Amino acid sequence: MLSIRNLSKTYSGGVRALRDVSLDIAPGMFGLLGPNGAGKSTFMKILATLLDPDTGTATLDGLDLIADKDATRRLLGYLPQEFGVYPKMSAVDMLNHLAVMKGITKRGERKEIVEGLLHQTNLWEVRKKALGGYSGGMKQRFGIAQALLANPKLIIVDEPTAGLDPAERNRFLNLLSSIGRNVVVILSTHIVEDVLELCSRMAIMSSGQLILEGAPAQAVDCVKGKVWSKVVSTDTERDTVEKSFHVISAHMVAGLNELRIYSETAPGDGFAQAEADLEDVYFFNLTRHQRN
Amino acid sequence: MFFNFLLFELKLRLKSVSTYVFFLLTALLPFFAVSTQGFGPIGSGKILLNSPFAVLLIITFVMFYGSILLAAIFGPAILRDFNQDTYQLIFTKPISKYSYLGGRWAGSMITAIFVFSGIVFGTALGTMMPWTDKLRLAPNDFGMYFRAFFSMGVVEIFFLGTLFFCVAALTRNIVVVYLQGVALVALYFIEAIAVITSNKLDRTWASICDPMGLIMNQSLTRYWTVAEKNTLLPHWTGVFLYNRLLWMGVGALALIAAFVFFPMSAEVLGSRRSTKHAKAARAEEEAQGKPRSRFGVELPRVTQIFGAMTTWKQLLSLTRLRFFNIVRELPFWAIAMLMLLFALIGGHFAGNNNGVEVWPVTYLMVSIVSGNAGLFLIIIGALYAGEVIWRERDVRFEQIHDSLPLRDWADFVSKFLALAMVETLLVSVIWVCGLISQITQGYFRFEMVHYAKELYLVFLPQMLTIVLLALFLQTLLGNKFIGHAVVIGFFILIPTLYSWGFENRLYMFGEITPYTYSDMNGYGHFVMALFWSISYWLFVGCLLGVFAVMFARRGTEQSFAARLKTARPRVARLIPAAAAFSLLAAICGAVFYYNTHILNEFRTAKQSRHRAAAYEQLYKKYERLPQPKITAVDVAVDIYPERRSFSATGSYRLVNHTDKPIDEVHITDTQESLQDVAFDRGSKQTLGDKVHFYSIYKLDQPLRPNETMKMNFHVGHTSRGFKDGNERPEFAYNGTFFDRDYFPFIGYNQRIELDDPVRRREEKLPALEEMAPPGDPYYSNINLFTSDSEWVTFHALVSTSADQIAIAPGDLKRSWTENGRRYFDYSMGDTRINNFFSFLSGSFSEKSDQWKNVKLDIYYQPGHEFNLDKMMDASKTGLEYYQKNFSDYQFDEFRVLEFPRYRRFAQSFPGTVPFSEDIGFIERLKKPDDIDLLYFVTAHELAHQWWGHQLIGSATQGSNMMAESLAEYSALKVMEKKYGEDMTRKFLRYELDGYLRGRAGESRHEPPLVLVQREPYVWYQKGSMTMFALADYIGEDKVNLALRNFLEKNRYAQGPFPDTRGFVAALREQTPPELQYVVTDMFESIVLYDNRAVSATYIETPDKKYKVTLKVASLKKKADGSGNETPMTIHDLIDVGVFSGSKEHLKRLNLHKEWISQENSTFEFVVDEQPTFAGIDPYNKLIDRNPGDNLTSVEKQ
Repeated sequence: MLSIRNLSKTYSGGVRALRDVSLDIAPGMFGLLGPNGAGKSTFMKILATLLDPDTGTATLDGLDLIADKDATRRLLGYLPQEFGVYPKMSAVDMLNHLAVMKGITKRGERKEIVEGLLHQTNLWEVRKKALGGYSGGMKQRFGIAQALLANPKLIIVDEPTAGLDPAERNRFLNLLSSIGRNVVVILSTHIVEDVLELCSRMAIMSSGQLILEGAPAQAVDCVKGKVWSKVVSTDTERDTVEKSFHVISAHMVAGLNELRIYSETAPGDGFAQAEADLEDVYFFNLTRHQRN
Repeated sequence: MFFNFLLFELKLRLKSVSTYVFFLLTALLPFFAVSTQGFGPIGSGKILLNSPFAVLLIITFVMFYGSILLAAIFGPAILRDFNQDTYQLIFTKPISKYSYLGGRWAGSMITAIFVFSGIVFGTALGTMMPWTDKLRLAPNDFGMYFRAFFSMGVVEIFFLGTLFFCVAALTRNIVVVYLQGVALVALYFIEAIAVITSNKLDRTWASICDPMGLIMNQSLTRYWTVAEKNTLLPHWTGVFLYNRLLWMGVGALALIAAFVFFPMSAEVLGSRRSTKHAKAARAEEEAQGKPRSRFGVELPRVTQIFGAMTTWKQLLSLTRLRFFNIVRELPFWAIAMLMLLFALIGGHFAGNNNGVEVWPVTYLMVSIVSGNAGLFLIIIGALYAGEVIWRERDVRFEQIHDSLPLRDWADFVSKFLALAMVETLLVSVIWVCGLISQITQGYFRFEMVHYAKELYLVFLPQMLTIVLLALFLQTLLGNKFIGHAVVIGFFILIPTLYSWGFENRLYMFGEITPYTYSDMNGYGHFVMALFWSISYWLFVGCLLGVFAVMFARRGTEQSFAARLKTARPRVARLIPAAAAFSLLAAICGAVFYYNTHILNEFRTAKQSRHRAAAYEQLYKKYERLPQPKITAVDVAVDIYPERRSFSATGSYRLVNHTDKPIDEVHITDTQESLQDVAFDRGSKQTLGDKVHFYSIYKLDQPLRPNETMKMNFHVGHTSRGFKDGNERPEFAYNGTFFDRDYFPFIGYNQRIELDDPVRRREEKLPALEEMAPPGDPYYSNINLFTSDSEWVTFHALVSTSADQIAIAPGDLKRSWTENGRRYFDYSMGDTRINNFFSFLSGSFSEKSDQWKNVKLDIYYQPGHEFNLDKMMDASKTGLEYYQKNFSDYQFDEFRVLEFPRYRRFAQSFPGTVPFSEDIGFIERLKKPDDIDLLYFVTAHELAHQWWGHQLIGSATQGSNMMAESLAEYSALKVMEKKYGEDMTRKFLRYELDGYLRGRAGESRHEPPLVLVQREPYVWYQKGSMTMFALADYIGEDKVNLALRNFLEKNRYAQGPFPDTRGFVAALREQTPPELQYVVTDMFESIVLYDNRAVSATYIETPDKKYKVTLKVASLKKKADGSGNETPMTIHDLIDVGVFSGSKEHLKRLNLHKEWISQENSTFEFVVDEQPTFAGIDPYNKLIDRNPGDNLTSVEKQ
């Protein structure tokens, strides 16, 4: 169990990236949703020992992640949102090196895990090529492979599916979920589907605060029957709707503008009840948070 | 359109900080060169620091080092579009190639001119600084500055910049642009080294082909006098014009090439990139196969082990990773290849010791290969220190790297180790370069241990210290480029501090004590100094390393406050390491301090000068105080080579040859070796100024006229520990050599006075006193060499350790061993000598021979057998010639003694010649027509046994030419006996060059030969030329007769001593009336000729002969001491001649002297062979500032 208490962080420029975040995360996949700048990366960097919070604690089964960085790093698998590689090194050399760095000093075991991961991430064929020649997707898969070295107890993956094509994304999510059954996996994303498909628990962050935490299905239940949609065709029409209702989101559907609103009661007047999904939950919470 | 691009380019440059940084960079060198004496390329002397000559030289220097700035200005003009991928936007628009390329080029050109105009700005600003020496400045002449800037700077910006522009446009790869810059500089260095070391006098082609102008300007101005250097710029004529035209042509071609070959379409330009992308994409598809979903993936279980062993393995893995990251980079290879090239070029010329070919012995080889490669090791160390520190951040791998379970120190240590491996590898390459160079030059005595010591124990640790400093700076500073700038600043700072008089190597980071390896003495007494100073700085470096670990970046926060916070928990863990290195550095520093400041007095060069100045200010008033003269020297000297010390007791016999009683004896203790003095009568010391080496003794009973007195003294020198440089070269474990300066000097010693005019001004001393003119009533009675002595009798009992031989002048009467020491008893018997003696001790080998009744000995270092036979031969031939032509040799022995290369000279003491191991003993003649300097020097020093040890002039102007010029002349004649006339002529051609360059660098005023004071180029080079020319005019026998007569009359003169008036008279006596002008011109004036062969043609006569018509031009000028010339009317007898063969090997067909009385003359010759060359004064017997144009090829009419 990873428990986080009152985590706050203000950058030297005055940006308040995290405000008093408390959270308990049990083993399994945990999704962290939020728009850009919500504080997801700051949160994850703190857990990955790259950043010290101003206040607050984070413990994993009794281990103080903030004070005992070295111990944390031993059980950590971390995939940053953006990262580069040493361009002249090959994937297999690099993974071997990182395996040593993670304390896998038994040669046989190291070989096994490195080869296993190369196969799992479909990099086996190109394992001897210089990383500098990798495409964005290949690089991302390499990043995933390095994060999974050494059977990490705490896996932190920041926007892992960005830059992956749909097939790769499926593959990765598969891999992650099968590994993530018994360990804490925190996955940040702004793609709602990722969370829906994978995570048993989730949280939504905005402006450095947690605005919702729970299981995706429960969250959807909360808005079930309260989401309505209407197709609008002019700006005036849209403005009228925005003035009178809590608009969650606007979509283009077959060339028409569809507005989704939240309303406890039937708004009538051209609105149809819509099937609520996790996206509605997400946008509902975000917009509500921004309104407050 | 063109103007749009131009304006765009200029706006961009105007906004860029780099433009202004570059401007300041180019202003920096001129600023310091003008404002601070001794900083720039102009040394001390009378050349003004902002004279045309100086400005031109500074511009050339800045342009040379600034060529990399040109690459940085012109390269990005085109590459910018490709780096930022804007090329697709630009090249899909309808723009013309002319306006795109033209605009970018013109914009860069204007920017570059602005950047380099920093030179003019820096120069002008430098003249205004309060600390500037106004005496060495001319008023700011901006017209001249800009003319110089245009002819050197702008032309070079044009051609070099355009070349960079062209390469950038055609390759679109910045690495290639920089490599091109590096390659150009390298090629240039090769050319420069080849030209300078080949020692050729004709540099026309080298000058024309010189892109940077260093060689050209050097050869154009090398004979310019101070007056010319202060007023003239090279004109756009001749070599200068051709050079500028050639390189502007190259620039124009590059510009045309860029315009013609630049493909103006996005498709072509992008093609290389898109294929690359396509390939990658394809590879990706192949790799991917069909995605299949998997369930229940189980990754293998692994065990994580953390402990010391893992840390070690992590360290190894990281070091390996970082090492390969460096060695897989192209720039690394480029720099390494350059290093290899430079090491090999250096190695090739290791056997060229200032123009003399010597065997490439290991100490020469290792110092030149490591010296040439050193810069590149520093560049690699500093450059890649930045790379390894910033690597993770540069490639954006830092988040993964920083969250690895790795100790902070291991990360830093791996960076250091990787660099250390790279440096070690390169040092090994240097070693191989040295060995290869020795092999290719046929030298097979490989001293591996010496290589290993020098390279791995002395050289490598210094490089590692620099690496540690660079790592520290890069860690501390917020940006790689600031880091590089600070490191470069550091390398500028150290020499600047030296030039400002900071010399203490306890605080000059990374500076180790200067040392010299000698075959005779090995590393000798420098071992301890090296050990402690190298260790000291290495540990200081390690301490910096510990600080670097404390402040190393880890995590994503960059603010200094955050880094302080991360450093805090590390401090506790790093305290032991910091303490350990501090302690080690402190111990080494303490030992160093104890040795250099407590055991020995620490005295900077400035402090030493200050003492000399104070000595002059305090005691010059005693210069003419009547003092007794030394007439006998009897000493007992105990040399302790293993302690680098000696102790001696002795006595002088003093006589009062004045007509008044003397009641005070003044003593100058030149080398601070005097312990006590006693006289054969009561005396009282009334002054004992230890600081300024002066003491005065008041005699109880004055010394009456013509009375003699005995003075007993005790002198000695004890070496303690080691010094921070300035070790006394006289004392060595093997190769002790000290002389009379360690024994008391009676009265004021004028030779202590500073002679550099700048240093004198610094010390507020008036200009150095001119020597008295010949005939001066006071100085006519003073001996030129030893003003406190008359001719003396000499006896010395010398002892040394059991395994060494000790040598002093005189016959060896007896030698024995007693108490484990060897004793040698030397005596001159009745033979009176100049009071000038030396003591040597060493483990010598001995080679002996006999010439008539003279015993010949060479005492040498075993292994230096190369030239012993030639030395013997020169001694015998010399003795033969001098005895036959001048007078009898006065001693029973002639000895040549080798001494360590801490000093480079050979010097003539009575019957003994100490000869530095560096000159002569390892000389090697490669080609049969190489000048045999060893032979010449041996003969020269032997000749001093006559000119200096039989004939001594008075201490007046000109007298020294009677020693040095006559020794030069005598030695030349001996060399001619051995090697023939061609060799002498070749030698004299170098003498002419040396004389003209010597007068060009004159810092006071040039005297005529017979009034020479302190100007070696006059008494050596001009002296030998003049004497030789006179012999050519009146005959060798006549000159020798004049010398013999003069010597006979003045041999062992007691005072008044002879001066050059008598010498000139003796020459005139043998000179026919019509040639008296030669003596006047050459000896008594400064006369320069400008002889020129205008044209030469021939026609074949019916009787198969060749009739040659030669047109010549002759000008004769008289120069004053500053080099201002006035024309003279000519009525001179000058050689004219016709030759066959090549210029290098002329064969004389007809050579005779003609009276020339007008500027233009025509001569006709009839010769038997087909002529190739003809000319006037073809052998350069006369002093001619353009010696190259005296010959011309003979064309068929």
